[in-house]
Amino acid sequence: MTTRARYRGGNYRRRSAGSRVVLYATVTAVALWLVAPFVWLFVTSISYQKNLLARPFTLVPPEVTFDNYRMILGLVRFHAEGQAGKILASMWNSLVVAAVVTALNVVVGTTAGYAYARFRFPLKMLSLFALLFTRMLPTIVLIPAFFLVFRTLGLQNTLTGLVIAYCSFTLPFTVWIMKAYFETIPEDLDKSALVDGCNRFQAYCRVVLPVSGPGLVAGGAFTFMLCWNEFVVAQILNTKPGTTTLPPIIAGMNGQINIDYSVIAASGFLGALPAVLLVLVFQKYMVQGLTAGSVKG
Amino acid sequence: MACLFVGPALLGIGLVVVFPLGYSLWLSFTDVNLLRSTGPAVELWGMRIPLFRWVGGRNYTQVLADPLYWDSLWRTLFFVGAFVVEAALVGFGMALVLNERFPGRALMRSLLLVPWSLSRIVVGLLWIGILDFEFGALNGLLLRAGLVDGAIAFFKDGWSALNVLVSVYMWNQAPFATLLFLAGMQSISEDLYAAAEVDGAGYWRRLWYVTLPALRPIVFLVLVLATVNGFLMLDLIYVLTMGGPAYDTTTVSWHGFKTSFTFFKFGPGTAILYTLTALCLLLTVIYHKLVLAGFEPEG
Repeated sequence: MTTRARYRGGNYRRRSAGSRVVLYATVTAVALWLVAPFVWLFVTSISYQKNLLARPFTLVPPEVTFDNYRMILGLVRFHAEGQAGKILASMWNSLVVAAVVTALNVVVGTTAGYAYARFRFPLKMLSLFALLFTRMLPTIVLIPAFFLVFRTLGLQNTLTGLVIAYCSFTLPFTVWIMKAYFETIPEDLDKSALVDGCNRFQAYCRVVLPVSGPGLVAGGAFTFMLCWNEFVVAQILNTKPGTTTLPPIIAGMNGQINIDYSVIAASGFLGALPAVLLVLVFQKYMVQGLTAGSVKG
Repeated sequence: MACLFVGPALLGIGLVVVFPLGYSLWLSFTDVNLLRSTGPAVELWGMRIPLFRWVGGRNYTQVLADPLYWDSLWRTLFFVGAFVVEAALVGFGMALVLNERFPGRALMRSLLLVPWSLSRIVVGLLWIGILDFEFGALNGLLLRAGLVDGAIAFFKDGWSALNVLVSVYMWNQAPFATLLFLAGMQSISEDLYAAAEVDGAGYWRRLWYVTLPALRPIVFLVLVLATVNGFLMLDLIYVLTMGGPAYDTTTVSWHGFKTSFTFFKFGPGTAILYTLTALCLLLTVIYHKLVLAGFEPEG
Protein backbone atom coordinates (compact mmCIF):
# COMPACT_ATOMS: atom_id res chain seq x y z
CA MET A 1 0.00 0.00 0.00
CA THR A 2 2.62 2.53 1.06
CA THR A 3 4.84 2.00 -1.94
CA ARG A 4 1.94 2.23 -4.35
CA ALA A 5 0.09 5.02 -2.60
CA ARG A 6 2.75 7.59 -3.31
CA TYR A 7 1.79 7.75 -6.96
CA ARG A 8 -1.49 9.39 -6.15
CA GLY A 9 -0.38 12.97 -6.34
CA GLY A 10 3.12 12.06 -5.18
CA ASN A 11 4.67 11.75 -1.76
CA TYR A 12 5.24 15.05 0.00
CA ARG A 13 8.65 14.01 1.23
CA ARG A 14 9.78 13.44 -2.33
CA ARG A 15 8.54 16.79 -3.57
CA SER A 16 10.92 19.46 -4.75
CA ALA A 17 11.19 22.52 -2.55
CA GLY A 18 9.38 24.63 -5.14
CA SER A 19 6.36 22.38 -5.43
CA ARG A 20 6.21 22.09 -1.65
CA VAL A 21 5.99 25.88 -1.36
CA VAL A 22 3.19 25.96 -3.93
CA LEU A 23 1.34 23.17 -2.14
CA TYR A 24 1.56 24.76 1.30
CA ALA A 25 0.56 28.14 -0.07
CA THR A 26 -2.55 26.65 -1.70
CA VAL A 27 -3.40 24.64 1.40
CA THR A 28 -3.16 27.77 3.52
CA ALA A 29 -5.31 29.70 1.09
CA VAL A 30 -7.97 26.96 1.09
CA ALA A 31 -7.92 26.75 4.89
CA LEU A 32 -8.36 30.52 5.19
CA TRP A 33 -11.16 30.52 2.64
CA LEU A 34 -12.99 27.78 4.54
CA VAL A 35 -12.72 28.96 8.11
CA ALA A 36 -11.69 32.63 8.19
CA PRO A 37 -15.27 33.89 7.62
CA PHE A 38 -16.57 31.72 10.46
CA VAL A 39 -13.70 32.77 12.74
CA TRP A 40 -14.44 36.39 11.88
CA LEU A 41 -18.06 35.83 12.94
CA PHE A 42 -16.73 34.76 16.33
CA VAL A 43 -14.38 37.76 16.51
CA THR A 44 -17.22 40.19 15.80
CA SER A 45 -19.36 38.44 18.39
CA ILE A 46 -16.81 39.21 21.12
CA SER A 47 -16.23 42.80 19.95
CA TYR A 48 -17.99 46.06 20.59
CA GLN A 49 -19.82 47.47 17.59
CA LYS A 50 -17.89 50.73 17.93
CA ASN A 51 -14.62 48.86 17.41
CA LEU A 52 -15.99 47.13 14.32
CA LEU A 53 -16.91 50.52 12.89
CA ALA A 54 -13.55 52.07 13.80
CA ARG A 55 -11.23 52.92 10.93
CA PRO A 56 -8.36 52.16 10.39
CA PHE A 57 -9.55 48.62 10.66
CA THR A 58 -7.84 46.06 12.93
CA LEU A 59 -8.11 42.29 12.61
CA VAL A 60 -7.43 41.80 16.32
CA PRO A 61 -10.14 43.51 18.35
CA PRO A 62 -8.71 46.12 20.78
CA GLU A 63 -11.23 45.07 23.45
CA VAL A 64 -12.77 41.68 24.08
CA THR A 65 -16.23 41.46 25.60
CA PHE A 66 -18.81 38.80 26.32
CA ASP A 67 -21.55 41.41 26.67
CA ASN A 68 -23.16 40.34 23.38
CA TYR A 69 -23.54 36.80 24.69
CA ARG A 70 -24.77 38.09 28.05
CA MET A 71 -27.42 40.11 26.21
CA ILE A 72 -28.78 37.27 24.14
CA LEU A 73 -28.73 34.91 27.11
CA GLY A 74 -30.79 37.46 29.05
CA LEU A 75 -28.12 38.14 31.69
CA VAL A 76 -27.95 41.91 31.10
CA ARG A 77 -30.65 44.32 30.06
CA PHE A 78 -30.31 46.28 26.85
CA HIS A 79 -32.45 48.30 24.47
CA ALA A 80 -33.47 45.50 22.07
CA GLU A 81 -34.06 42.93 24.77
CA GLY A 82 -37.35 41.73 23.28
CA GLN A 83 -35.64 40.42 20.16
CA ALA A 84 -32.57 38.92 21.73
CA GLY A 85 -34.60 37.41 24.56
CA LYS A 86 -36.20 35.04 22.06
CA ILE A 87 -32.93 33.32 21.25
CA LEU A 88 -32.90 30.72 23.99
CA ALA A 89 -36.59 29.83 23.62
CA SER A 90 -36.22 29.43 19.87
CA MET A 91 -33.08 27.33 20.30
CA TRP A 92 -35.11 25.01 22.48
CA ASN A 93 -37.81 24.83 19.78
CA SER A 94 -35.15 24.05 17.17
CA LEU A 95 -33.74 21.32 19.37
CA VAL A 96 -37.14 19.70 19.99
CA VAL A 97 -38.13 19.77 16.32
CA ALA A 98 -34.76 18.52 15.08
CA ALA A 99 -34.62 15.73 17.69
CA VAL A 100 -38.14 14.47 17.01
CA VAL A 101 -37.70 14.57 13.24
CA THR A 102 -34.37 12.76 13.54
CA ALA A 103 -35.88 10.04 15.72
CA LEU A 104 -38.80 9.53 13.32
CA ASN A 105 -36.44 9.43 10.36
CA VAL A 106 -34.06 6.97 11.91
CA VAL A 107 -36.84 4.55 12.82
CA VAL A 108 -39.05 4.80 9.73
CA GLY A 109 -36.49 5.76 7.08
CA THR A 110 -33.95 3.13 8.08
CA THR A 111 -36.47 0.32 7.89
CA ALA A 112 -37.52 1.42 4.42
CA GLY A 113 -33.90 1.83 3.36
CA TYR A 114 -33.28 -1.77 4.40
CA ALA A 115 -36.21 -2.99 2.31
CA TYR A 116 -34.95 -1.12 -0.74
CA ALA A 117 -31.51 -2.62 -0.30
CA ARG A 118 -32.70 -6.22 0.19
CA PHE A 119 -36.18 -6.96 -1.13
CA ARG A 120 -37.80 -7.13 -4.51
CA PHE A 121 -41.33 -5.83 -4.43
CA PRO A 122 -43.88 -4.46 -6.86
CA LEU A 123 -43.43 -0.82 -7.86
CA LYS A 124 -39.93 -0.77 -6.38
CA MET A 125 -38.35 1.05 -9.31
CA LEU A 126 -41.25 3.48 -9.59
CA SER A 127 -41.19 4.35 -5.89
CA LEU A 128 -37.40 4.74 -6.02
CA PHE A 129 -37.78 7.24 -8.84
CA ALA A 130 -40.45 9.02 -6.81
CA LEU A 131 -38.03 9.15 -3.87
CA LEU A 132 -35.35 10.69 -6.05
CA PHE A 133 -37.83 13.23 -7.36
CA THR A 134 -38.91 14.18 -3.83
CA ARG A 135 -35.30 14.85 -3.02
CA MET A 136 -35.00 17.23 -5.95
CA LEU A 137 -38.34 18.84 -5.25
CA PRO A 138 -38.53 22.48 -4.15
CA THR A 139 -39.91 22.13 -0.61
CA ILE A 140 -41.36 25.61 -0.96
CA VAL A 141 -43.97 24.33 -3.43
CA LEU A 142 -45.48 22.18 -0.66
CA ILE A 143 -45.83 25.03 1.79
CA PRO A 144 -49.07 26.60 0.49
CA ALA A 145 -50.71 23.18 0.93
CA PHE A 146 -49.29 22.75 4.44
CA PHE A 147 -50.38 26.30 5.25
CA LEU A 148 -54.02 25.68 4.34
CA VAL A 149 -54.26 22.18 5.80
CA PHE A 150 -52.52 23.18 9.04
CA ARG A 151 -54.91 26.11 9.33
CA THR A 152 -57.93 23.83 9.36
CA LEU A 153 -56.20 21.38 11.71
CA GLY A 154 -54.92 24.05 14.08
CA LEU A 155 -51.31 23.01 13.45
CA GLN A 156 -50.12 26.45 12.39
CA ASN A 157 -47.69 27.88 14.93
CA THR A 158 -47.11 24.49 16.52
CA LEU A 159 -43.96 22.41 16.70
CA THR A 160 -45.99 19.36 15.60
CA GLY A 161 -46.74 21.16 12.34
CA LEU A 162 -43.05 21.85 11.79
CA VAL A 163 -42.16 18.23 12.50
CA ILE A 164 -44.67 17.06 9.87
CA ALA A 165 -43.47 19.60 7.32
CA TYR A 166 -39.79 18.76 7.95
CA CYS A 167 -40.39 15.08 7.31
CA SER A 168 -41.29 16.01 3.74
CA PHE A 169 -37.70 16.84 2.88
CA THR A 170 -35.82 14.66 5.38
CA LEU A 171 -37.56 11.30 5.02
CA PRO A 172 -36.67 10.74 1.34
CA PHE A 173 -33.04 11.61 2.17
CA THR A 174 -32.86 9.19 5.03
CA VAL A 175 -34.36 6.34 3.01
CA TRP A 176 -31.83 7.03 0.27
CA ILE A 177 -28.78 7.29 2.55
CA MET A 178 -29.75 4.16 4.45
CA LYS A 179 -30.44 2.21 1.26
CA ALA A 180 -26.94 3.07 0.06
CA TYR A 181 -25.49 2.13 3.44
CA PHE A 182 -27.22 -1.26 3.70
CA GLU A 183 -26.02 -2.09 0.21
CA THR A 184 -22.47 -1.98 1.59
CA ILE A 185 -23.29 -4.62 4.24
CA PRO A 186 -22.84 -8.14 2.87
CA GLU A 187 -26.12 -9.91 2.33
CA ASP A 188 -24.61 -13.14 3.70
CA LEU A 189 -24.97 -11.64 7.15
CA ASP A 190 -28.76 -11.57 6.86
CA LYS A 191 -28.80 -14.94 5.16
CA SER A 192 -26.91 -16.68 7.93
CA ALA A 193 -29.24 -15.10 10.48
CA LEU A 194 -32.21 -16.42 8.48
CA VAL A 195 -30.65 -19.87 8.34
CA ASP A 196 -30.15 -19.75 12.09
CA GLY A 197 -33.89 -19.43 12.50
CA CYS A 198 -34.45 -15.69 12.68
CA ASN A 199 -37.31 -14.21 10.74
CA ARG A 200 -36.64 -11.17 8.54
CA PHE A 201 -37.53 -8.71 11.23
CA GLN A 202 -35.32 -10.38 13.82
CA ALA A 203 -32.48 -10.59 11.34
CA TYR A 204 -32.85 -6.86 10.71
CA CYS A 205 -33.12 -5.84 14.37
CA ARG A 206 -30.64 -8.19 15.97
CA VAL A 207 -28.04 -8.74 13.27
CA VAL A 208 -28.06 -5.97 10.71
CA LEU A 209 -28.87 -2.93 12.85
CA PRO A 210 -26.15 -3.57 15.45
CA VAL A 211 -23.49 -3.38 12.73
CA SER A 212 -25.08 -0.35 11.06
CA GLY A 213 -23.93 2.25 13.59
CA PRO A 214 -21.98 4.38 11.08
CA GLY A 215 -24.91 4.49 8.67
CA LEU A 216 -27.39 5.39 11.39
CA VAL A 217 -25.08 8.11 12.66
CA ALA A 218 -24.66 9.52 9.15
CA GLY A 219 -28.38 9.55 8.45
CA GLY A 220 -29.28 10.88 11.88
CA ALA A 221 -26.65 13.61 12.01
CA PHE A 222 -27.53 14.76 8.51
CA THR A 223 -31.25 14.93 9.31
CA PHE A 224 -30.55 16.82 12.52
CA MET A 225 -28.35 19.30 10.67
CA LEU A 226 -30.97 19.93 7.96
CA CYS A 227 -33.70 20.57 10.54
CA TRP A 228 -31.54 22.70 12.82
CA ASN A 229 -30.58 24.93 9.90
CA GLU A 230 -33.94 25.10 8.13
CA PHE A 231 -35.31 28.61 7.64
CA VAL A 232 -37.99 29.08 4.98
CA VAL A 233 -40.59 26.60 6.25
CA ALA A 234 -40.36 27.76 9.86
CA GLN A 235 -40.49 31.39 8.78
CA ILE A 236 -43.76 30.84 6.89
CA LEU A 237 -45.61 28.35 9.06
CA ASN A 238 -44.71 29.52 12.55
CA THR A 239 -45.09 33.26 12.80
CA LYS A 240 -46.47 33.64 16.32
CA PRO A 241 -43.89 34.74 18.89
CA GLY A 242 -42.43 31.84 20.80
CA THR A 243 -43.41 29.17 18.30
CA THR A 244 -40.63 29.44 15.78
CA THR A 245 -37.10 28.08 15.54
CA LEU A 246 -33.74 29.83 15.68
CA PRO A 247 -33.00 30.73 12.02
CA PRO A 248 -36.14 32.90 11.58
CA ILE A 249 -35.34 34.72 14.83
CA ILE A 250 -31.78 35.47 13.68
CA ALA A 251 -33.04 36.58 10.27
CA GLY A 252 -35.58 38.79 12.04
CA MET A 253 -32.89 40.42 14.20
CA ASN A 254 -30.86 41.02 11.07
CA GLY A 255 -33.81 42.91 9.59
CA GLN A 256 -34.05 45.25 12.59
CA ILE A 257 -32.12 48.48 12.63
CA ASN A 258 -31.81 48.99 16.36
CA ILE A 259 -29.69 45.89 17.05
CA ASP A 260 -25.90 45.98 16.79
CA TYR A 261 -24.34 43.58 14.31
CA SER A 262 -22.11 42.24 17.09
CA VAL A 263 -25.18 41.04 19.01
CA ILE A 264 -26.61 39.33 15.92
CA ALA A 265 -23.20 37.79 15.28
CA ALA A 266 -23.23 36.35 18.81
CA SER A 267 -26.60 34.71 18.25
CA GLY A 268 -25.50 33.48 14.83
CA PHE A 269 -22.34 31.94 16.26
CA LEU A 270 -24.18 30.35 19.17
CA GLY A 271 -26.82 28.99 16.78
CA ALA A 272 -24.27 27.63 14.34
CA LEU A 273 -22.16 25.91 16.97
CA PRO A 274 -24.33 22.80 17.59
CA ALA A 275 -24.53 21.89 13.89
CA VAL A 276 -20.84 22.61 13.26
CA LEU A 277 -19.76 20.52 16.27
CA LEU A 278 -22.12 17.70 15.29
CA VAL A 279 -20.71 17.60 11.78
CA LEU A 280 -17.10 17.81 12.96
CA VAL A 281 -17.59 15.01 15.49
CA PHE A 282 -19.35 12.69 13.05
CA GLN A 283 -17.62 13.87 9.88
CA LYS A 284 -16.08 10.51 9.05
CA TYR A 285 -19.42 8.72 9.02
CA MET A 286 -21.25 11.59 7.39
CA VAL A 287 -18.78 11.80 4.53
CA GLN A 288 -19.10 8.05 3.94
CA GLY A 289 -22.87 8.10 4.13
CA LEU A 290 -23.33 11.19 1.99
CA THR A 291 -20.94 10.21 -0.76
CA ALA A 292 -22.45 6.74 -0.91
CA GLY A 293 -25.95 8.21 -1.12
CA SER A 294 -24.69 11.22 -3.10
CA VAL A 295 -27.41 13.47 -1.79
CA LYS A 296 -28.37 17.04 -2.48
CA GLY A 297 -26.41 18.91 0.20
CA MET B 1 -43.02 -8.74 4.30
CA ALA B 2 -41.51 -5.97 2.23
CA CYS B 3 -44.72 -3.99 2.76
CA LEU B 4 -44.16 -3.93 6.52
CA PHE B 5 -40.68 -2.52 6.00
CA VAL B 6 -41.44 0.10 3.36
CA GLY B 7 -45.04 0.75 4.36
CA PRO B 8 -44.56 3.32 7.14
CA ALA B 9 -42.05 5.37 5.15
CA LEU B 10 -44.08 5.33 1.95
CA LEU B 11 -47.25 6.16 3.86
CA GLY B 12 -45.44 9.04 5.55
CA ILE B 13 -44.03 10.31 2.27
CA GLY B 14 -47.48 10.00 0.73
CA LEU B 15 -48.97 12.14 3.49
CA VAL B 16 -46.28 14.80 3.74
CA VAL B 17 -45.05 14.94 0.13
CA VAL B 18 -47.46 13.47 -2.41
CA PHE B 19 -50.65 14.86 -0.88
CA PRO B 20 -49.33 18.46 -0.42
CA LEU B 21 -47.77 18.29 -3.87
CA GLY B 22 -51.11 17.36 -5.41
CA TYR B 23 -53.01 19.90 -3.35
CA SER B 24 -50.56 22.66 -4.34
CA LEU B 25 -51.02 21.67 -7.98
CA TRP B 26 -54.78 21.99 -7.50
CA LEU B 27 -54.33 25.38 -5.84
CA SER B 28 -52.37 26.63 -8.83
CA PHE B 29 -55.57 26.19 -10.91
CA THR B 30 -57.90 27.90 -8.46
CA ASP B 31 -58.81 31.32 -7.22
CA VAL B 32 -57.47 31.02 -3.65
CA ASN B 33 -58.90 33.50 -1.22
CA LEU B 34 -57.51 33.05 2.27
CA LEU B 35 -60.16 35.23 3.88
CA ARG B 36 -63.14 33.29 2.61
CA SER B 37 -64.00 30.28 4.74
CA THR B 38 -67.08 29.14 2.83
CA GLY B 39 -67.15 27.59 -0.63
CA PRO B 40 -66.48 24.12 -1.96
CA ALA B 41 -64.41 21.88 0.27
CA VAL B 42 -63.58 18.25 0.90
CA GLU B 43 -64.41 16.76 4.26
CA LEU B 44 -61.86 14.13 5.28
CA TRP B 45 -61.90 12.58 8.74
CA GLY B 46 -63.47 15.71 10.15
CA MET B 47 -60.90 17.87 8.42
CA ARG B 48 -62.25 20.52 6.07
CA ILE B 49 -59.92 21.12 3.15
CA PRO B 50 -61.02 24.13 1.11
CA LEU B 51 -61.01 23.62 -2.66
CA PHE B 52 -61.68 27.18 -3.85
CA ARG B 53 -62.98 28.03 -7.30
CA TRP B 54 -61.47 26.38 -10.36
CA VAL B 55 -60.19 28.97 -12.81
CA GLY B 56 -58.40 26.74 -15.30
CA GLY B 57 -55.07 27.98 -16.56
CA ARG B 58 -55.76 31.60 -15.64
CA ASN B 59 -53.06 31.76 -12.94
CA TYR B 60 -50.49 30.40 -15.35
CA THR B 61 -51.39 32.80 -18.19
CA GLN B 62 -51.39 35.68 -15.72
CA VAL B 63 -47.99 34.70 -14.33
CA LEU B 64 -46.45 34.11 -17.75
CA ALA B 65 -47.81 37.43 -19.03
CA ASP B 66 -45.97 39.25 -16.25
CA PRO B 67 -42.62 40.62 -17.49
CA LEU B 68 -41.32 40.27 -13.92
CA TYR B 69 -41.59 36.49 -14.27
CA TRP B 70 -39.47 36.47 -17.42
CA ASP B 71 -36.96 38.93 -15.98
CA SER B 72 -36.54 36.76 -12.92
CA LEU B 73 -36.29 33.66 -15.10
CA TRP B 74 -33.37 35.10 -17.09
CA ARG B 75 -31.79 36.26 -13.86
CA THR B 76 -32.25 32.77 -12.41
CA LEU B 77 -30.60 31.24 -15.46
CA PHE B 78 -27.60 33.53 -15.02
CA PHE B 79 -27.54 32.83 -11.29
CA VAL B 80 -27.70 29.07 -11.78
CA GLY B 81 -25.13 29.08 -14.58
CA ALA B 82 -22.65 31.18 -12.63
CA PHE B 83 -23.25 29.21 -9.45
CA VAL B 84 -22.80 25.83 -11.13
CA VAL B 85 -19.56 26.90 -12.80
CA GLU B 86 -18.13 28.49 -9.64
CA ALA B 87 -19.17 25.65 -7.34
CA ALA B 88 -17.83 22.98 -9.70
CA LEU B 89 -14.52 24.75 -10.36
CA VAL B 90 -13.83 25.72 -6.76
CA GLY B 91 -15.08 22.36 -5.54
CA PHE B 92 -12.77 20.58 -7.96
CA GLY B 93 -9.84 22.83 -7.11
CA MET B 94 -10.24 22.16 -3.41
CA ALA B 95 -10.52 18.43 -4.10
CA LEU B 96 -7.23 18.51 -6.02
CA VAL B 97 -5.52 20.22 -3.09
CA LEU B 98 -7.02 17.91 -0.47
CA ASN B 99 -6.12 14.84 -2.51
CA GLU B 100 -2.44 15.65 -2.15
CA ARG B 101 -0.51 14.23 0.76
CA PHE B 102 0.55 16.76 3.35
CA PRO B 103 0.72 16.88 7.13
CA GLY B 104 -2.64 18.04 8.54
CA ARG B 105 -4.68 16.70 5.65
CA ALA B 106 -7.19 15.04 8.00
CA LEU B 107 -7.73 18.35 9.78
CA MET B 108 -8.24 20.11 6.45
CA ARG B 109 -10.87 17.59 5.47
CA SER B 110 -12.75 18.38 8.66
CA LEU B 111 -12.51 22.11 8.06
CA LEU B 112 -14.01 21.50 4.64
CA LEU B 113 -17.34 20.76 6.29
CA VAL B 114 -17.54 24.00 8.25
CA PRO B 115 -19.10 26.25 5.57
CA TRP B 116 -21.41 23.46 4.52
CA SER B 117 -22.77 22.74 8.00
CA LEU B 118 -23.85 26.33 8.65
CA SER B 119 -27.44 27.48 8.30
CA ARG B 120 -27.76 29.71 5.23
CA ILE B 121 -29.06 32.40 7.56
CA VAL B 122 -25.74 32.31 9.42
CA VAL B 123 -23.85 32.11 6.11
CA GLY B 124 -25.55 35.32 4.99
CA LEU B 125 -24.96 36.92 8.36
CA LEU B 126 -21.25 36.22 8.47
CA TRP B 127 -20.74 37.50 4.93
CA ILE B 128 -22.51 40.70 5.93
CA GLY B 129 -19.81 41.01 8.60
CA ILE B 130 -17.23 40.82 5.82
CA LEU B 131 -18.88 42.78 3.02
CA ASP B 132 -20.86 45.46 4.86
CA PHE B 133 -20.33 49.05 3.72
CA GLU B 134 -19.77 50.40 7.24
CA PHE B 135 -18.25 47.64 9.37
CA GLY B 136 -17.30 44.96 6.83
CA ALA B 137 -13.90 43.37 7.37
CA LEU B 138 -13.07 43.22 3.65
CA ASN B 139 -13.76 46.92 3.22
CA GLY B 140 -11.70 47.59 6.32
CA LEU B 141 -8.75 45.59 5.00
CA LEU B 142 -8.91 47.13 1.52
CA LEU B 143 -9.10 50.65 2.93
CA ARG B 144 -6.24 50.03 5.29
CA ALA B 145 -4.07 48.59 2.54
CA GLY B 146 -4.91 51.67 0.49
CA LEU B 147 -6.31 49.58 -2.35
CA VAL B 148 -9.57 51.53 -2.51
CA ASP B 149 -10.40 55.18 -1.87
CA GLY B 150 -13.76 54.55 -0.24
CA ALA B 151 -15.66 51.53 1.05
CA ILE B 152 -17.29 49.37 -1.64
CA ALA B 153 -21.08 49.08 -1.47
CA PHE B 154 -21.39 45.45 -2.56
CA PHE B 155 -25.18 45.35 -2.32
CA LYS B 156 -26.05 48.77 -3.71
CA ASP B 157 -25.69 47.86 -7.36
CA GLY B 158 -27.94 45.06 -8.65
CA TRP B 159 -25.33 43.33 -10.80
CA SER B 160 -22.76 43.27 -8.02
CA ALA B 161 -25.38 42.10 -5.49
CA LEU B 162 -26.35 39.20 -7.76
CA ASN B 163 -22.74 38.14 -8.18
CA VAL B 164 -22.10 38.40 -4.45
CA LEU B 165 -25.08 36.08 -3.91
CA VAL B 166 -23.58 33.59 -6.36
CA SER B 167 -20.22 33.60 -4.61
CA VAL B 168 -21.61 33.42 -1.08
CA TYR B 169 -23.81 30.50 -2.04
CA MET B 170 -20.79 28.90 -3.70
CA TRP B 171 -18.79 29.31 -0.46
CA ASN B 172 -21.52 27.34 1.30
CA GLN B 173 -22.01 24.64 -1.35
CA ALA B 174 -18.64 24.03 -3.02
CA PRO B 175 -17.38 21.86 -0.11
CA PHE B 176 -20.07 19.33 -0.91
CA ALA B 177 -18.86 19.11 -4.50
CA THR B 178 -15.37 18.64 -3.08
CA LEU B 179 -16.58 15.69 -0.99
CA LEU B 180 -18.03 14.01 -4.06
CA PHE B 181 -14.91 14.70 -6.16
CA LEU B 182 -12.63 13.40 -3.39
CA ALA B 183 -14.66 10.21 -3.09
CA GLY B 184 -14.30 9.76 -6.84
CA MET B 185 -10.58 10.48 -6.85
CA GLN B 186 -9.98 7.94 -4.11
CA SER B 187 -11.56 5.18 -6.12
CA ILE B 188 -9.28 5.71 -9.11
CA SER B 189 -6.80 2.88 -9.29
CA GLU B 190 -3.26 3.88 -8.36
CA ASP B 191 -1.88 1.63 -11.08
CA LEU B 192 -3.20 4.12 -13.63
CA TYR B 193 -1.13 6.90 -12.06
CA ALA B 194 1.89 4.64 -11.75
CA ALA B 195 1.61 3.70 -15.42
CA ALA B 196 1.19 7.33 -16.44
CA GLU B 197 4.19 8.34 -14.40
CA VAL B 198 6.31 5.60 -15.94
CA ASP B 199 5.25 6.94 -19.34
CA GLY B 200 6.62 10.30 -18.30
CA ALA B 201 3.33 12.11 -17.74
CA GLY B 202 3.68 15.11 -15.41
CA TYR B 203 1.11 16.36 -12.91
CA TRP B 204 -1.11 18.22 -15.41
CA ARG B 205 -1.05 15.48 -18.02
CA ARG B 206 -2.01 12.90 -15.37
CA LEU B 207 -4.84 15.21 -14.29
CA TRP B 208 -6.07 15.57 -17.86
CA TYR B 209 -5.69 11.98 -19.06
CA VAL B 210 -6.28 9.95 -15.90
CA THR B 211 -8.19 11.89 -13.25
CA LEU B 212 -10.69 13.81 -15.36
CA PRO B 213 -11.92 10.94 -17.56
CA ALA B 214 -12.41 8.74 -14.48
CA LEU B 215 -14.36 11.48 -12.74
CA ARG B 216 -16.79 12.11 -15.57
CA PRO B 217 -19.83 10.58 -13.86
CA ILE B 218 -19.10 12.57 -10.69
CA VAL B 219 -18.76 15.77 -12.68
CA PHE B 220 -22.24 15.23 -14.11
CA LEU B 221 -23.60 14.43 -10.68
CA VAL B 222 -22.13 17.62 -9.22
CA LEU B 223 -23.52 19.67 -12.10
CA VAL B 224 -27.05 18.29 -11.74
CA LEU B 225 -27.15 18.70 -7.96
CA ALA B 226 -25.72 22.23 -8.15
CA THR B 227 -28.28 23.16 -10.82
CA VAL B 228 -31.18 22.08 -8.62
CA ASN B 229 -29.74 23.80 -5.57
CA GLY B 230 -29.21 26.94 -7.62
CA PHE B 231 -32.82 27.03 -8.78
CA LEU B 232 -34.17 26.54 -5.27
CA MET B 233 -32.04 28.99 -3.32
CA LEU B 234 -34.16 31.33 -1.19
CA ASP B 235 -32.74 31.81 2.29
CA LEU B 236 -29.60 33.70 1.28
CA ILE B 237 -31.67 36.15 -0.75
CA TYR B 238 -33.80 36.66 2.35
CA VAL B 239 -30.84 37.64 4.55
CA LEU B 240 -28.68 39.43 2.01
CA THR B 241 -30.80 41.28 -0.54
CA MET B 242 -34.55 40.61 -0.17
CA GLY B 243 -34.65 40.41 -3.96
CA GLY B 244 -33.38 43.97 -4.33
CA PRO B 245 -32.12 46.57 -5.09
CA ALA B 246 -35.37 47.05 -7.07
CA TYR B 247 -35.87 43.55 -8.55
CA ASP B 248 -32.23 43.01 -9.42
CA THR B 249 -31.76 39.84 -7.36
CA THR B 250 -35.30 38.48 -7.72
CA THR B 251 -35.07 34.89 -8.94
CA VAL B 252 -38.02 32.69 -9.88
CA SER B 253 -38.06 31.00 -6.48
CA TRP B 254 -37.93 34.36 -4.69
CA HIS B 255 -40.69 35.68 -6.99
CA GLY B 256 -42.84 32.65 -6.14
CA PHE B 257 -42.05 32.99 -2.43
CA LYS B 258 -42.99 36.69 -2.40
CA THR B 259 -46.18 36.17 -4.40
CA SER B 260 -47.29 33.32 -2.16
CA PHE B 261 -46.24 34.43 1.29
CA THR B 262 -45.81 38.19 1.23
CA PHE B 263 -48.84 39.01 -0.91
CA PHE B 264 -50.63 35.75 -0.01
CA LYS B 265 -51.68 35.17 -3.62
CA PHE B 266 -51.52 31.38 -3.44
CA GLY B 267 -53.01 30.83 -6.90
CA PRO B 268 -50.37 32.66 -8.96
CA GLY B 269 -47.74 31.86 -6.30
CA THR B 270 -48.13 28.10 -6.60
CA ALA B 271 -48.28 28.49 -10.39
CA ILE B 272 -44.84 30.16 -10.34
CA LEU B 273 -43.47 27.52 -7.99
CA TYR B 274 -44.90 24.78 -10.18
CA THR B 275 -42.97 25.99 -13.19
CA LEU B 276 -39.87 25.42 -11.04
CA THR B 277 -41.10 21.99 -9.99
CA ALA B 278 -41.52 20.98 -13.63
CA LEU B 279 -37.92 21.95 -14.24
CA CYS B 280 -36.79 19.87 -11.27
CA LEU B 281 -38.70 16.88 -12.60
CA LEU B 282 -36.76 17.16 -15.81
CA LEU B 283 -33.49 17.31 -13.88
CA THR B 284 -34.55 14.29 -11.82
CA VAL B 285 -34.90 12.26 -14.99
CA ILE B 286 -31.31 13.12 -15.88
CA TYR B 287 -30.14 12.47 -12.32
CA HIS B 288 -31.96 9.14 -12.24
CA LYS B 289 -30.17 8.05 -15.41
CA LEU B 290 -26.86 9.02 -13.80
CA VAL B 291 -27.54 7.09 -10.64
CA LEU B 292 -28.63 4.06 -12.61
CA ALA B 293 -25.54 4.31 -14.79
CA GLY B 294 -23.63 3.94 -11.50
CA PHE B 295 -21.44 6.90 -10.75
CA GLU B 296 -18.69 4.75 -9.31
CA PRO B 297 -15.78 5.42 -11.63
CA GLU B 298 -14.32 2.33 -13.20
CA GLY B 299 -11.14 1.43 -11.37
